[in-house]
Amino acid sequence: MAIVAQSSKYGQFSRTLLAWIVGLLFFFPIFWLVLTSFKTDADAVKPEFLFFFTPTLENYTNMTDNYDYWRFATNSVITSVFATIFALAVGIPCAYSMAFNPTRATKDVLMWMLSTKMLPAAAVLYPMTFLTKSLGLFDTHFMVILVLCLINLPIVIWMLFTYFKEIPKEIIEAGQMDGVNTWGEIKEILIPLAWGGIASTALLCFIFCWNEAYWTVRLTTTDAATLSKLIEGNRAPEGLFFGRLSAVSAAAVGPIIVLGWFCQKQLVQGLSFGAVK
Amino acid sequence: MSNRTLPRLLQSPAVVLLLIWMLVPLSMTLYFSFIRYVLNNLRKPEWMTPALSNWRGFGNYEFVLKSKDFIFAIQNSLLIVCSILFLTVILGVLIAVLINKSFPGQGIVRVLLISPFFVMPAVNAVLWINMILDPVLGLQGIAVGSINDLVDGLRAAPGVGWFFSLWPELTPISFRATQTSAYAVIIMVTWQWTPFAILIFMTSLQSEDQQQKEAAILDGASTWSQFRFLTLPHLGRPIAIVVMIQAIFHLSLYAEIEIVSRGNGNKNLPYLIGEFANNNIGAASATGIFAVILANIVAIFLLRIVGKTLME
Repeated sequence: MAIVAQSSKYGQFSRTLLAWIVGLLFFFPIFWLVLTSFKTDADAVKPEFLFFFTPTLENYTNMTDNYDYWRFATNSVITSVFATIFALAVGIPCAYSMAFNPTRATKDVLMWMLSTKMLPAAAVLYPMTFLTKSLGLFDTHFMVILVLCLINLPIVIWMLFTYFKEIPKEIIEAGQMDGVNTWGEIKEILIPLAWGGIASTALLCFIFCWNEAYWTVRLTTTDAATLSKLIEGNRAPEGLFFGRLSAVSAAAVGPIIVLGWFCQKQLVQGLSFGAVK
Repeated sequence: MSNRTLPRLLQSPAVVLLLIWMLVPLSMTLYFSFIRYVLNNLRKPEWMTPALSNWRGFGNYEFVLKSKDFIFAIQNSLLIVCSILFLTVILGVLIAVLINKSFPGQGIVRVLLISPFFVMPAVNAVLWINMILDPVLGLQGIAVGSINDLVDGLRAAPGVGWFFSLWPELTPISFRATQTSAYAVIIMVTWQWTPFAILIFMTSLQSEDQQQKEAAILDGASTWSQFRFLTLPHLGRPIAIVVMIQAIFHLSLYAEIEIVSRGNGNKNLPYLIGEFANNNIGAASATGIFAVILANIVAIFLLRIVGKTLME
């Protein structure tokens, strides 16, 4: 018995060690990005300054001059926030009626909505470019918001539906007895009850909007270009600008990684379409 | 208003929006795939506007099927998707099992592990191809360089010098060539999506039957057979889901290929569509239809699994 205890203690230790090594390895590229962002462009490519160097903030302070960072960041914020708001505005009533007044078609409608998410974006590349250009919507915030809203709508409805389903039907029905109308039900009963679920759905939707990299690159040039477009446009600095490129990249992903830490659980539900519990 | 109309009314904005979003561009793609439609052709200006009189039947499909680029793009798409699936599932299962039991700092390790998933694809690609994989200035180049320096120094050392002079000089790999850039894409996407697999598997492991496990331990089952006969079967469905969701996402992988491989000949289906779309819209559309078919094959299986759990 003593041997078992000892070996399991040893096992516990090596497992902990291994887990930490794996975790640090996975995090290392992000750490490296942040570390490089504090080096000057010249230092960033010198082996002798790999880990020990004089840190500088110049890459961050010059971000506006070098890349016009704030313009792209503002576009990212505007498009992601409004796309999320619209997706919720359309998604909440839809998920509400699906959860509390399900018909025989509800399941099929939900499945069909999900299937729209599975169409490869590239297949409709030219029609989309053609339509946006002929409607005069190319490179406008409106178009980016619309597209981001639509590509995330299925996931938003899906997640809201799974949250709303957890709410006892009786509570909503009690509201109906009291003569509250539908709008009142949603506003006074549903939203306060499902507040946590709605918030995490919104957070996840925001993250997906922020990271979207197909339509935001393809349907914009300058006016509505987001951070994805900015980074994509500076893809090959040839070692000249590692420092400043790292800074702008770190500024583009940093806030989102932190937000992401708060919605790990919702991520599982949202991305596995509720099939893993 | 009857009990039935209002719910439908509430659903209609979402349904109508998604219906338009799905049907309009897709039917345009379908239409364009059957006509001759190019953006620039001085000799045949009538092909520059989409019209039924330019009907080409399955000509665009034939053209695409016969083009070398298409075969290459399909092979490359499959190579990239299958490698990523293989690596993420294996790594995901191993790491999920490793960190599932509690240990000091479990929460922090979880946070470290999940972080790559939230990095935007463009930054992921730029970071890996420049700062890490670059053969001269990236970490790879620096690492190979310092190993070579070290071996060089040891060659001159008395006694062991002969041993190290047998060692070849290492050359760093350039990940910007046609074939190697596909490997670079595989590496960076695996890094980004393994956290997703870990998360899903961990969620599923938490619902594993603990009593069954304890019974197995009492019966003297080894760690390996516990893993093989209890944990792995339990993970069967999550693995299927991870495989299918990732397949759908990675079949339309774009930003990474665009950033790593622009102009070096490496391509997958979405990238090929982008290339065709610079001029030959007919071919781009036919390729698009092929991409839709490919994605649908996977999607049907996925939707079947999801549908089963939907109304539980």
